[in-house]
Amino acid sequence: MGDQESGYGSSLTLDSMKVIAESVGIANLGEDAAKELADDVTFRLKVIVQDAMKFMNHSKRQKLSITDIDHSLKSKNIEAQYGFLQPDSLPFRFASGGGRELHFIEEKEIDLSEVLSAPPPKIPLDISLRAHWLSVDGVQPTVPENPPPLSKESQKLESVDPITKLSKPANKDAAGKPVCGKAARLKASESVHVKQLATHELSVEQQLYYKEITEACVGSDEGRRAEALQSLACDPGLHEMLPRMCTFISEGVKVNVVQNNLALLIYLMRMVKALLDNQSLYLEKYLHELIPAVSTCIVSRQLCMRPEMDNHWALRDFAARLMAQICKTFNTSTNNLQTRVTRLFSRALQCPSQTNNESGPSMVTTMKESEKTPLASLYGAVQGLAELGPEVVKVFILPRVRWLGERIEGALSGIGGADRLAAGNLKHQLLKVLAPVVRQIRQPPDQPEDYKREYGYLGPSLQQMVSKLRTSPSTPGGGGAVAVVTCTPPLVPSASLPAPAAGPIAAPQHSTLTKTVDSMGTRNVISSSNPSPTPPTPPPQKFVIVSQQKAPQAQPASGTGHIVHSSQPTIVRSQNVQSVVVTSGPAGNQQPQKVVVVGMPPQQQAPVTCGVSQAPVSVVAKPVFARASSAPQPPPELDDLSHLA
Amino acid sequence: MGEKSTPLLAVLQLLKKYNLKGTEEILRKEANLGDTDFDGLDLQEVEIASILSAHHTESDPFTYEHAYDTLKKFVENSMDICKYELSTLLYPVFVHMYLSLILYDHHEHASKYLEKFGAEQEEFYQDDLKQLSNVKSKEKIKGNEIAEIYSTNKFEVQLSRDASSQLKRFLQEQKSSPVIINIINNHIQIDVHDGPGRTQAQVRSTAGGLLGEASRNENRTKVYYGLLKEPFIEVLATTPPEDEEEVEETPDKPKKKKAKKDHFLMKKPKVDPNAPPTDRIPLPELKETDKMEKGKALREASKRVQLGPETLPSICFYTLLNSGHTALCADICDDSTLMAVGFSNSIVKVWTLTTVRLRGMKSVDKLQDIDREAGDVLVRMMEEKDRDTCRTLFGHSGPVYKVGFDPFKNLLLSCSEDATVRLWSLQCWTCLVVYRGHMWPVWDVKWSPHGHYFVSSGHDRTARLWATEHHQPLRIFAGHLSDVDCVQFHPNSNYVATGSSDRTVRLWDCLTGAQVRTMTGHKRTIFTLSFSVCGRWLASGGGGGEIIIWDISTGAPTAALPLFHNAPITTLAFSRDGALLSSGSLDCTIKLWDFVAISDDSANDENNSNTSPTKEEKFLLRSFATKNSPLKNLHFTRRNLLLAVGSYDGSS
Repeated sequence: MGDQESGYGSSLTLDSMKVIAESVGIANLGEDAAKELADDVTFRLKVIVQDAMKFMNHSKRQKLSITDIDHSLKSKNIEAQYGFLQPDSLPFRFASGGGRELHFIEEKEIDLSEVLSAPPPKIPLDISLRAHWLSVDGVQPTVPENPPPLSKESQKLESVDPITKLSKPANKDAAGKPVCGKAARLKASESVHVKQLATHELSVEQQLYYKEITEACVGSDEGRRAEALQSLACDPGLHEMLPRMCTFISEGVKVNVVQNNLALLIYLMRMVKALLDNQSLYLEKYLHELIPAVSTCIVSRQLCMRPEMDNHWALRDFAARLMAQICKTFNTSTNNLQTRVTRLFSRALQCPSQTNNESGPSMVTTMKESEKTPLASLYGAVQGLAELGPEVVKVFILPRVRWLGERIEGALSGIGGADRLAAGNLKHQLLKVLAPVVRQIRQPPDQPEDYKREYGYLGPSLQQMVSKLRTSPSTPGGGGAVAVVTCTPPLVPSASLPAPAAGPIAAPQHSTLTKTVDSMGTRNVISSSNPSPTPPTPPPQKFVIVSQQKAPQAQPASGTGHIVHSSQPTIVRSQNVQSVVVTSGPAGNQQPQKVVVVGMPPQQQAPVTCGVSQAPVSVVAKPVFARASSAPQPPPELDDLSHLA
Repeated sequence: MGEKSTPLLAVLQLLKKYNLKGTEEILRKEANLGDTDFDGLDLQEVEIASILSAHHTESDPFTYEHAYDTLKKFVENSMDICKYELSTLLYPVFVHMYLSLILYDHHEHASKYLEKFGAEQEEFYQDDLKQLSNVKSKEKIKGNEIAEIYSTNKFEVQLSRDASSQLKRFLQEQKSSPVIINIINNHIQIDVHDGPGRTQAQVRSTAGGLLGEASRNENRTKVYYGLLKEPFIEVLATTPPEDEEEVEETPDKPKKKKAKKDHFLMKKPKVDPNAPPTDRIPLPELKETDKMEKGKALREASKRVQLGPETLPSICFYTLLNSGHTALCADICDDSTLMAVGFSNSIVKVWTLTTVRLRGMKSVDKLQDIDREAGDVLVRMMEEKDRDTCRTLFGHSGPVYKVGFDPFKNLLLSCSEDATVRLWSLQCWTCLVVYRGHMWPVWDVKWSPHGHYFVSSGHDRTARLWATEHHQPLRIFAGHLSDVDCVQFHPNSNYVATGSSDRTVRLWDCLTGAQVRTMTGHKRTIFTLSFSVCGRWLASGGGGGEIIIWDISTGAPTAALPLFHNAPITTLAFSRDGALLSSGSLDCTIKLWDFVAISDDSANDENNSNTSPTKEEKFLLRSFATKNSPLKNLHFTRRNLLLAVGSYDGSS
């Protein structure tokens, strides 16, 4: 058998013949007999397979299945092989040893009583018929039943190698626009063809869609937003609008970070999430816009009006999860995405080269550059790293825990209310993130002294967490450090439980929204839920009214702590929206104001404050549909944040 | 049987054949051969010839390699004008050399020879060579389909006069090693044609058949490819369109008013010079109901959209959900109201595509109460209450490979792996007849466009023509060298086209049962065929995704459409006005081709060169991808809406 390796037909080896012979009880099969058998068996097998191919073809398949072999055997008057019915391909196992290589089918022992007692398998769904339009007058509508106009693979290819698009002939199979009809003739009559990498023009329908979607995503109607996000997450054929969507998000984040408009940042992040979830889109080409936007939402110094009140932590958590999802999806060996993101976060955690033990909280401002990193950013960085997995936590957070502890200690003992809150959050987060990792790397006798020595200020608390983890029968991999990428836990920006004397101005509180609170002259208006109250002040304003009606329930994801997540309706009434704003800073001297009123339920024992702060107008980077501010006052929109629950 | 005695036995057989008793006895005595040995030997005649003529080279397997090399050199050095024609000789010579090496038990040499030269052969022959390489001893020649075909048939090669004279000169020079001469004499049919040698493209376009090209003589017979004169049908051209939905079931609609007909309808009964005589084969009389159906069809046709590159059809896609790989075939009836699907679990399901539900016939005792003379007896015999939107037909005992509605949607045919064809009634929803005759799985079945007749084809390498009221076939079309994978009736019902795994398309005359066209050029198995509306063109789709348009009048390939499909073509359909050709494939795409351009192009082309397929990208109009749903069937409605059927294949 010298030609076993030849291109023309392999054949069974003598060894396999001998093995098969042994398995049926023939011990000493001669060489000649084995060769003769191998030849013959090979021949017969090939004839059978050749006929089976015909059955496969007529079953309109491209994959040979066991039934094809059965039919082929039947046509040769050989009894079919029973018991090989497999839903998927044959699970051949490979084993080698003693100089022999062997492929075999793993046969599992089946416990009959188990089979009998098991519930019967589900009845398969009945075959049904469904009709849809694959094409209407030669144009393929982009409905979910049709494939996306540009497949994910080709989007991917395009992002890697944009030249391919130029070299491709006329797009006869790009289903988006027909090359036939008048358009084709017009195109043909043009004398100059400028081939473009991307189609820049959107059809009227697409423009309309874009307008509607962006409007709904950042608008006030929660129902519409849900629909819009659903559309973004599911609809095929969005890739033509993708550049615009991404620019919208990126610009929106830029502007709203400056304006500290938490709600809009959240909406924009939800748009990112929806786009990431869309199966038919490939976002790699737009990561340069998305990643800065997302990372801004993680580590930005300030994301909301009053850091001591608003739950910007949730936004940071959510954005960190998004970042982890992006990393997981798009990381390749060429773009080193995860490495770069990790570096970005870990730089924020960079501790000064020599830790100064005397560095107290009061000295923060006098410390080196890195010492100035605000606690909120540290929190974001920690969260961002934590989402990337326990390994990252071990390498990048754990070594800096001593320094972080000092920062926290300083902030907690300090006077700034916001700082104390941030420090509390950071501490809580660090403990949550670190405990599972520390549990893995340290051996059981958990001595508080050891921990103190090794981890500094956070040591004892960490030790408590770890020993609690050890005692609790949690799942082995359990812990917050494992990045959960796909789930979408509730993101709840809402009233936070404030530290004592948090806001500069405390206004009377209201448990319900239906009351109007008047305070501080013309600047502050708390509107009722009445859909169209007339705003008393002519300058455009934005009102954020947050109310909490039920007792806050601690979210399992965040555990106990100082953060209170509420699932209560939060109403942001944005009455004016300036048209597309490019500048990100406060513009003009006649600045509109923003009023934030937070109402807390009476059950809460903590003093509830109603903070009103002065701020530049909230600017939403909306497309052209934004109303002119000079227009007669339209009814204000009520923006309900309760969706975030 | 010792190998030495093979030639002796061959001689014996030869002697016996020519009845030379005396010599035979003497030989027997001398060779000490008993009578028993002789019975075991039944060599093919050609084999005997090759054994005897090549006897003296038998001992020297090296001559083969050398001879093949010489032939190759000759082809390479020959004039450009006949080079490509001559190169078609290489493959058959190669195959027969291999087979004779096997025949003389030079197994090692045979496999070496195959190694050395096999890869040089044309790509479309590689599959055959793989099969051939399974033959490693002479006993296996009998079991191997390909080897058997080659040893029992002659390979067709077409050469121009120049080329053949060159070949003759070459062969005379080769007197010393007769290997090639023997093979060419015994196994190759050289067909000499006048005119210049063909170009590479021309040669390639017809190459690929299992036994080479079709010989010229085979395609000489005149084929009446024109359409039959349509029987005159009274049509109410002015039927208000609202009627349509309700007249479905009411046979007693007013017929008296003979409105003026469209000029479009008037033109139709024009005598086609290429049409066969109307009574060439007996066609069934149209029944009253059939006439109504025809009239409806004509009315619908008058509302048809004219398609073209500018106006593409809308496509309605029917997805079979939860069917996985179990749905094998589908058909939509002519008026697009019903759809039948055949499944691998032996059942046939019929769906209604309109709001009219599927009704069964009343039970026997109830039927007896009906006044048979009543005008609406056909309505009365059906059950009153509406039934399901889907009905299932049980009866087959193997996968159902094809289903087909008759033109008047009273009957349904299905063929299956269980080697039977079944005829089902769409009124009582039962099986009416089981047609047994095929030996092995039946791959395809098709109705005649006029009803009554149908044709089936299968693994037994035959196609059979049946009439519904005969339980035995009227004609058996035998001649294909491998499975007959698809069949199609010509629109005038006088001819049947078959496509096969031997990579030929053949056209058979229903009247005589003779083969009137053999068309080679496909490089893979042919899975689907479709005649153009005018009857002159035949489109065939193959396993590699290639589509070839044939001109029935000459049997030559008119155009090989550019290879845009990358999986087997499963279905082809011409639009009702013949302007578009649609193709569906397992690669989950539907492509629309500009058939007017294709046929025009070929008409222009004929002036320059006789058979050059034009590969133009402009033929492709549009391509529509489906969502993971391989195509089962394509069907143009009478108004030129394209209906497509596929089953969603979520897994892959």
